[in-house]
Amino acid sequence: MTALVAKGIELSRGSRRILAGVDLQLRAGEVVLLAGRNGAGKSTLLRVLLGSERAASGTVQLGGRDLAAWPPRERAREIAYVPQEGDHPFEFTGRELVAMGRHPHLHRDQPPQLRDLEAIERALVAVGATDFADRSVATLSGGEQRRIAIARALATEAKLLLLDEPTSNLDLEHALQLVHMLRDLRGCGVGVLLTAHDLNLVAPHCDRVALLHDGRICADDVPTSALTAERVLTVFGVRAEHAAGYFPRDFRL
Amino acid sequence: MQRHRLPLALVGLAALAIVYLGVARGAPGLLELPSWCLGDLHPRLAYILEQIRAPRLLVAAAGGASLALAGAIMQATFRNPLASPDLVGTAAGAALGGALAIVWKLDGALLAVPAASLLGAMAVTALVFVLAGAHGRFSATGLLLAGVALNTLVGALTSFAVTFTFDNYTASSRVLFWLMGGLDSSKWENVAITGGGLLLFGGLALRRRRELDLLTLRDDSAFSLGVDGPRARRWLLLLACGLTATTVANTGGIAFVGLVVPHLTRLLVGPSHRALLPLSAVFGAMLLVLADLICRLVPPDTNLRLGVVTTMLGAPYFLYLLARHRRGEVL
Repeated sequence: MTALVAKGIELSRGSRRILAGVDLQLRAGEVVLLAGRNGAGKSTLLRVLLGSERAASGTVQLGGRDLAAWPPRERAREIAYVPQEGDHPFEFTGRELVAMGRHPHLHRDQPPQLRDLEAIERALVAVGATDFADRSVATLSGGEQRRIAIARALATEAKLLLLDEPTSNLDLEHALQLVHMLRDLRGCGVGVLLTAHDLNLVAPHCDRVALLHDGRICADDVPTSALTAERVLTVFGVRAEHAAGYFPRDFRL
Repeated sequence: MQRHRLPLALVGLAALAIVYLGVARGAPGLLELPSWCLGDLHPRLAYILEQIRAPRLLVAAAGGASLALAGAIMQATFRNPLASPDLVGTAAGAALGGALAIVWKLDGALLAVPAASLLGAMAVTALVFVLAGAHGRFSATGLLLAGVALNTLVGALTSFAVTFTFDNYTASSRVLFWLMGGLDSSKWENVAITGGGLLLFGGLALRRRRELDLLTLRDDSAFSLGVDGPRARRWLLLLACGLTATTVANTGGIAFVGLVVPHLTRLLVGPSHRALLPLSAVFGAMLLVLADLICRLVPPDTNLRLGVVTTMLGAPYFLYLLARHRRGEVL
């Protein structure tokens, strides 16, 4: 089973120490929420796990093999990523952007095959983007661009997804659709690590919540155990009454 | 229609080529082309077609295609629709290299000017790349700023090099005419260099069309899809340098083709490089053939230079872009 295992990740930017010995695991078939304050280093940690940013020390292994030793295209078939913000200098259509997700599966300049077109369509359906898939990305709203970016990650058919704030800019309906999608993905054996600030919305649907605080993971447990009132106070500086009971067991969206 | 775009554009280019060969201030004219094809044209007229107009046509077409491809590649690698061999300094570097080769009287050797141009183009592009990317991540703004700085510096160095030729009128006029851009002295060996550069570097670039698409994304996104952004950029910029240098070495300074053509083509067919690269090449060829046709048709004593014509076409395009920008549209 594919697993992404980070051990002892340390990383500084200038004199600021961002990650000070992070241990974190992501296995296929589980949904993990990475939470913490703004600037806690969540996005940096995701990039380290993706391999696009190198840690000063520590190891990241994918399937028991050093992440940096993976050939790029093979790695891209295992881990997909959605950055926090899109930025498109050119007016690609949504469908063209999603089709880029098939690059790791195609030879150098091979056009998409039937199987790729099906994967692209499935990804567009999964995020509810079929209606605006053929519009230029410049004409799409922030939330629509977000869904296109998520669809691109889905189109790779990777077993592990790293999503940086996938719910930002999404309206309630599509945020709910996204958390449902997380559940479906888990059902298909996909592992998802996501960051989000809306704990109420996302945490109940996660298998684990990892809290990043002061450069370390200070809790990594099932949501109800990880998000205690005491921890919410230390990590977010917010007094939450009965934080553990915040998510009723029968909570359903 | 989408399927037929490239064949249609090629038909357009072929038609333009026939007009180019047959329309001139002197004989042979269009009506003599059929007899040329049949081989019973007067040898003197056939010589004009075969040794003067045909090589000039092919250098214009290959050069225009190369510059347009170089522009399309640079716009994707710099993630900026305004990047082009002119703005980044690649063309200026190629011009400096070529000018130095002429000033130092190396231009007797067949490949001296193209080789010097390639070195100049690569040196300036590499310097811009390092200057902009020295501190961590690649920044498009940084690249363009470095390009502007280097462009100015290299332009000054080129002028400085030219002043060394002032004691020799023939040499200095040769350098200056070359710098202004022109195809008058195009021979079959120039066709071989420009065309060879187009086939080699353009062919390699065509195989990386989807990679170019991916490079327009943020580096992290491209990385997650299996593309090592910085490495792919270096390789593609090398190809753009090759395309620019093999053209500039034969045509001298020809501005704006690399900026305007990919930009207009993108408005027509969208940003995906699968269609954008081949069509930009054909449109670039058409633009330069047309511009050179204009040069040939004006009275000879005005001595209108090709680089001047393309600049006159390019400068208004910037104003058009400015208008678009003011309306809040994507460039």
